[in-house]
Amino acid sequence: MKTAALNPLVKRKKNSYLKRYWTLYLLLILPVTYFIIFKYIPMTYIQIAFKKYSIVQSVWQMPWADNYGFEYFIKAFSNRDFLYALRNTVMLNVLDLIFGFPAPIILALILNELAFKRFKRITQTIAYMPHFLSWIIISGMALQLFAPTTGLINIVLERMGLNTIPFLNDPNHWIWTYVFLGIWQSVGWNTIIYLAAITAINPELYEAAAMDGAGRFRKMWHVTLPGLRPTIIVLLILSLGRILGSEFDRPYALGNYYVKDVANVISTFVYTNGIRGLQFSLTTAVGLFQSVVGVIFVLTANAIVKRFGERGIM
Amino acid sequence: MKKYLSILLALSMIIALAAGCGTRNAGNDTASPSPSASQDPGNDSNAEIVDGKFVKTRKITVEVYDRGNDGGTPPEDNFYTDFIKEGMLRDHNVEVEFVPVGRWTEVDEINNLLAAGTAPDICVTYSYPTIQTYANMGGVLDLAPYLEKYKDMLPNLWDLLKEENIYYDLDPEKGTLWALEARLFHNMRINTFVREDWLKKLGLSEPTSIEEFENMLIAFRDNAKLLLGKDANKMIPFSISFDVGWRANNLFAAFFPDNMSEREMYINGFDDRHLLFPGYKEGVRLLNKWYNERLIWQDFPLYGKGDTTEDNLMKAGYVGAFIHNWDYPYRNGDEGIHANLQKLVGPDAAYIAVDPFKNEAGKYVKFVGSTVDRKIFFPATNDEPLASLLYLDWISKFENRKFLQIGEEGVTHEVQPDGSIKLIAAPSGDPKIMNSPNNIDYTITINGLDLGDPDLTIKSLAYGYGGVDKRFIEKAFATAKNDGKTTPTVHVGEIKAEEGMGPVLSEKRDTFLIQSIVASPDKFDEVFDAGMQDYLNSGGQAIIDERAAAYDKYYK
Repeated sequence: MKTAALNPLVKRKKNSYLKRYWTLYLLLILPVTYFIIFKYIPMTYIQIAFKKYSIVQSVWQMPWADNYGFEYFIKAFSNRDFLYALRNTVMLNVLDLIFGFPAPIILALILNELAFKRFKRITQTIAYMPHFLSWIIISGMALQLFAPTTGLINIVLERMGLNTIPFLNDPNHWIWTYVFLGIWQSVGWNTIIYLAAITAINPELYEAAAMDGAGRFRKMWHVTLPGLRPTIIVLLILSLGRILGSEFDRPYALGNYYVKDVANVISTFVYTNGIRGLQFSLTTAVGLFQSVVGVIFVLTANAIVKRFGERGIM
Repeated sequence: MKKYLSILLALSMIIALAAGCGTRNAGNDTASPSPSASQDPGNDSNAEIVDGKFVKTRKITVEVYDRGNDGGTPPEDNFYTDFIKEGMLRDHNVEVEFVPVGRWTEVDEINNLLAAGTAPDICVTYSYPTIQTYANMGGVLDLAPYLEKYKDMLPNLWDLLKEENIYYDLDPEKGTLWALEARLFHNMRINTFVREDWLKKLGLSEPTSIEEFENMLIAFRDNAKLLLGKDANKMIPFSISFDVGWRANNLFAAFFPDNMSEREMYINGFDDRHLLFPGYKEGVRLLNKWYNERLIWQDFPLYGKGDTTEDNLMKAGYVGAFIHNWDYPYRNGDEGIHANLQKLVGPDAAYIAVDPFKNEAGKYVKFVGSTVDRKIFFPATNDEPLASLLYLDWISKFENRKFLQIGEEGVTHEVQPDGSIKLIAAPSGDPKIMNSPNNIDYTITINGLDLGDPDLTIKSLAYGYGGVDKRFIEKAFATAKNDGKTTPTVHVGEIKAEEGMGPVLSEKRDTFLIQSIVASPDKFDEVFDAGMQDYLNSGGQAIIDERAAAYDKYYK
């Protein structure tokens, strides 16, 4: 009796919910279709990694590769260039993480302490400008500034009687140029999200801290940073997922023949061997490997932070 | 009202989406016809063609290189494309559309177009391995049956290319033919250039041996103050680019044994820069020495493909010597190196071709081209093979290609009293300007001026460079042909190990050659040997072995 009475009620509730919001769901169709067409359907092509690629056959008809379909994985891992690219990708990304990840947090903290609002806004705007420059432009600027004999900085150093610095032509120096330019390009932009999180911190906490006699640094340490912690953790997990991922334009544009040994990363390997060398199966295998490792990293990091009592991303 | 608006919005989005999906699918359908249908040259078009003219208008797309030159016209739409379009419509009732492809990234772009199924009906590339790779995947039309069937309709094509170039790539076993080879009319390839005015200023004569060349470079370096004044620190005695194999090819040729056998040249000949020829390493060692003595442009490895920094340094007058295409400094009229040099430095400033790289036998060997140039192929998506072949025939017809090569009298050429043709550079921005010398990008079946009469052609060639003194061209022409040597033409069919290896191995070659050159001299052997070992391990050796086996099979 009870259920019978309840059911129509639930039904009616459901009906009125759909009646009320169906247009929203209709709108949702668009992004969902986007994901299906451009993200999920292309995923069926992952099987190219296990098959012999042919331009005219459908991906379902292509013959399986040797070694139970794993031929191209074996090929990749016995390819010296791939192993170098893997090493370089991990190295550059770890350096990016160590130096590039804290940079926007520090900048956000500093900007937040600025009392003069107008100055703060101008600084912030200038800081995120480089985000809109493409890496091709940045690499052109880098050549003008850092080239060994014609770069501005080295010309100045030479005029002052100092030794020139091989920013671009010595592999060890190049790595730092790469990391530095990466920070320069992205620090301002990444600051935005932290600044937004800071504005969400309850001002009463600052007042209470001030009452207790906390100075600026104490307030930063005990109020702002803990307030930022969830944001930091989410971004950290996401960037761990990219530890094996690699951008293409940054290493490709900044790299040159002097530093090929450290500048070749997985994405440039995929470009040379896959797109230019037409070895689509091999490079799909590499891409798949990259994605799988990325997912493992994200899940592990997520599990770890959950154990520490944070919310994580899932 | 609001509600209706949102409904309308949502509906219109869905319709737009559905429409988008619809055209996408339609595009896919036309882009991937079943290979069997397009491979069959059956009895389709013959009935619909009368006197070489289609009854119903056909439509084809044709690749054209886009060089992006300053002051040029859009390569797909200009005076010359109009000439071709009108002619094809008039003579064959075929509508032609041009598809621009970047000259310096052509292989990459063609790859993308082929992979996407949107490649033009007539494709042109310098890379045969690319064609072979796609042919193996079933992405290229086999031309053999079409050529056999329509031979009578293509007299001009046969006349120009002859059996030799038409069947150059014929597979000896399977009888398949994936590409036609354009005719290289003149086979000059590379020259060594030095600044004539600098030689005069320093009282030097033209170098005739490697030693003299080296001394000249040293003199350039040590007299930078005299030659460049306040820009002395910008002095570059010898400049090369990332493409060392090309840009020092004449120098390397002097280190190769003079009497290499056909077999040796063929099996080591996969790399078109001759990397695997014996003696190469000693050539690189010399460059390494020069680099460390600051005789070579110090920053060259920083600049990649298509970068114009080096050209600008030449134009500005900082570069003493270089090796490049046989007429490189004289190209491009007003925008070229020669014109700029004269404008920026003075009327005496000019590069002149010299011949310094003497080999063990006292010869100035340089590798000249064979009779083949670009390769023309039809992707499997081409459903107008006859119309496409008629296009090639039309473009090979003497009157048509002659007009394209020399343009209009008074605009791009003048007729001299002796009947020879003097090309003049149309001013930058002129609608009749040629984007490439002799419109080579449109005359895809021929590379090099041909006026019918060989004497007239050679005389005219010297005139062929607007604004450049005839003597420079004549010298360059003679020098480039002096002791020219061709690599053998061998027909052994496909070498499996080469598939897809071209770009990868070229990249490796460039990288390790550069690293060897910039290494300190005591590290040179280590760097070069490691690089060569890696090159061989990464596929180079497999190619040599397979080539050797194939050669011995057909020629022993």
